[in-house]
Amino acid sequence: MKSLSPLSYVPRRASLQSAGLGPAALYLGAYLLICFLSSDPIVLLAATFGAALAGYGCHAQRAVRFSLRLGAFLAVSMIVINGLVTSRGETVLLRLGEWPVFGRIDVTAESLAAGALIGLRAMGTMVVIGVWSACIDPDRVLRAMHRTARRSALTATLISRLVPLAAGDQARLGEAAGLRGPGATPVGRLAMAHRLLAGSLDRAVDVAATLELRGYGQTAPPGADRPIASRFDRRFQVAGAVLMVAALGSIIAGLPGLTTYPGFEYEPGPFSLILAGLFAGGGLVTWQRGRGPNARRN
Amino acid sequence: MRDATETGAVDPALSIEALSYRYAGAASGTLEGVSLEVNQGEFVVLAGPSGSGKTSLLRAACGLVPHFHGGELGGRARVAGRDTRDFGPGDLADVVGYVAQDPETQIISTTVAAELDLPLRFRGDNPASRARAIEEVALGLNIAPLLPRTVSTLSGGEMQRVALAVALVTRPPLILLDEPTSQLDPVAGDELIWLLRRLNEEWGVAVVLAEHRLERCLAAADRVIAMDTGRISFDGSPRAFLEHAVDSKSELGTPAAVMFSLAGMDPLPVGVRDARATLRVRGITAPGQSPVSVARPSEETGESQAEADLRSGTGRSLRRFVPGRRERRKGNGRALKASGLWVELDPGDGPVDVLRGLDLEIDPGERVALMGRNGAGKSSLLRAAAGLLEPAAGKIETRGGVALLTQNPGDFLVRESIGEELSGESGRAALDAVGLDLPEDSDPRDLSGGERQRLALAIALAGRMDGGELPDLIALDEPTRGMDRRLKDGLSGLGRTLSDRGAAVVVATHDVEFAATFADRVVLLGDGELIADASAATVLSGGWYFATEVSRVLDRPGLITVEQGADWLLGEIANGGGA
Repeated sequence: MKSLSPLSYVPRRASLQSAGLGPAALYLGAYLLICFLSSDPIVLLAATFGAALAGYGCHAQRAVRFSLRLGAFLAVSMIVINGLVTSRGETVLLRLGEWPVFGRIDVTAESLAAGALIGLRAMGTMVVIGVWSACIDPDRVLRAMHRTARRSALTATLISRLVPLAAGDQARLGEAAGLRGPGATPVGRLAMAHRLLAGSLDRAVDVAATLELRGYGQTAPPGADRPIASRFDRRFQVAGAVLMVAALGSIIAGLPGLTTYPGFEYEPGPFSLILAGLFAGGGLVTWQRGRGPNARRN
Repeated sequence: MRDATETGAVDPALSIEALSYRYAGAASGTLEGVSLEVNQGEFVVLAGPSGSGKTSLLRAACGLVPHFHGGELGGRARVAGRDTRDFGPGDLADVVGYVAQDPETQIISTTVAAELDLPLRFRGDNPASRARAIEEVALGLNIAPLLPRTVSTLSGGEMQRVALAVALVTRPPLILLDEPTSQLDPVAGDELIWLLRRLNEEWGVAVVLAEHRLERCLAAADRVIAMDTGRISFDGSPRAFLEHAVDSKSELGTPAAVMFSLAGMDPLPVGVRDARATLRVRGITAPGQSPVSVARPSEETGESQAEADLRSGTGRSLRRFVPGRRERRKGNGRALKASGLWVELDPGDGPVDVLRGLDLEIDPGERVALMGRNGAGKSSLLRAAAGLLEPAAGKIETRGGVALLTQNPGDFLVRESIGEELSGESGRAALDAVGLDLPEDSDPRDLSGGERQRLALAIALAGRMDGGELPDLIALDEPTRGMDRRLKDGLSGLGRTLSDRGAAVVVATHDVEFAATFADRVVLLGDGELIADASAATVLSGGWYFATEVSRVLDRPGLITVEQGADWLLGEIANGGGA
């Protein structure tokens, strides 16, 4: 018997887990879109908060915490790396002089802020992926893939199984890394990420082979595998549509965000605050009356 | 393209003609001119050492080779008349089921029920027929309680049973299995073999079973095909195969057959019942009917009552291991001491007790086999000893460090060369300790299975050796999975070397034959509790499932290895028993 990885999907009678794949994808897709494309730190923070709130509403606390930790690590890494490799910006905080290979290194407030913005995007994206992984049944994704992309088992595997496979591998590899003797070369994050990616892709190929053996390429009679409707579908369709329209609208309208080079430029207007409010409050859509996050933890 | 339904003729379940195959980028071929036919309703065991081509042959027989693995293929393979060159694995899914070696790569869905449902959905079955098919295969394989479980919480053995159930749920006329019992406990392993036999007899399913533990399956087989370096070295009946194996001194002979051969007896037995029948015919006392003249281990260890309890089926009193004359190699401390140990895990539906008030002490220098059914708590005990699991109650103490090698040694190998994995003095000392002498620039991925396992163990040991002295406890979780006898012997030798140097070596294993050659003490767990703790000779000769084949044939306390059994038989023959 094993313990579950924080990103593992656990079947529960929560809203997002019960909803159809389309409405759930629309809802979480809006969060993913805003995290990818927005340059407004308030909106990004609000979207991250909203996604975390959505995860808590579906009892995916472990996934949210794990994603936040990973996202925070990525964010800090981005700040440090961007601060060291980019010398653009007007506000020089630290002059580190000439370095071999890197040349002259000046740490500027603008480069740190630009790194933080990328980091915020990464953190929000990680939380959305974490909630998706813990709440969306990969079997539904696979069945949807079977209806739409019957000829490529590998594509179906990569879309529906790569995150669960990587989550499982990450748990095993992390455990093995903890069991290495103190005299063995420590497993750095880079080596671990490399091994994890290579291993997960290898296993994805094995899983794709298994799918083929199970008859993935067979054509089922029409209507044999119709998705089952859920009472939560309407809720996520409406919320997802509103958030998606707001996200696309802000992008099409060219909502200004944080400009970092050559100097800071950021003036959040009322639309930024409305958008932030929408995405932060949108996280409550997953919550059910009397079924708070303490009802059952994963 | 020809299909059996088109021709009206009854095609063999599997027909292979002059099949040669080389994996993409490989220097040499894996299969060389293999020809065979498996008729419908036949039960074939595929034998051969590791790397002999068994897995590649099975992959070719279900279309994965060449459609998925690429490479160069010569000759032809036909499944139910369909040429695998023209039909891919998806097209063959209705006529062949395949269970691969590693069940973890074969479980795709979230829950067991969904996993069983998947191939039926792909085929387009309606909900009612899907439900019936799932119910029947779940009952047949005794996995009904697993149906609602999340697959990520299954143990290796449970996964293997689920993988088999998925292969069977569509009722294909041919099923190919690649070491399906490698992660199963002896009870589940035996059940699986006889279930296959029943499916074979009642449903007419042709079975091709690649297996290392031949003593488990020969009695169920109609025919044995042995492979060596990519070619078929033998094709015939199980008894003829054993004669071939013994004559050629290959490592493929079963313990009972080798024992009979060493004792100069024939015919060689293909199973326990066969061996017992021969003993009766030869006038050797029927098992379990008279006292025996061999020296009982109980006389040496003072365990006579416990042994009698085990033999009479009340093995729960075997909770005391008396070290006897075993030498304590290091001080007076225990390598492991568990007192009232409770451990719980959360498989997703709330915490479950996996160890229940366990009391256990292991001394430095002991060789212990930790046995029990799947889910008995073996791995959890080792993980608690290594600090990976916190006790829910009680305590577990280790003295002088623990090196634990988990079930997948590959998880320890993350870098491109041995030198990058292990550098400096402590790295070299660890490599010496496991007897691995390879160039530092060797790529771990190029090593054999046994070498990779040793390297992973060296990584776990590195830096835990105090002045060249090993840690007090070295634990290995299911290390013999997928190993042939030569590799197991190598591992057993390594275990002895490590224990001779003062470490307690604890191996969680389902392999009773390995436990008999490796361990001097066996701890048997059941449902998280200690069921038996005694010498290997006592525990492994005291029952039906957790007993070696020699013990099952002779049913004599203390006789568990081939050599012991052969000596006893020779003694009986000399005393006139085999006249």
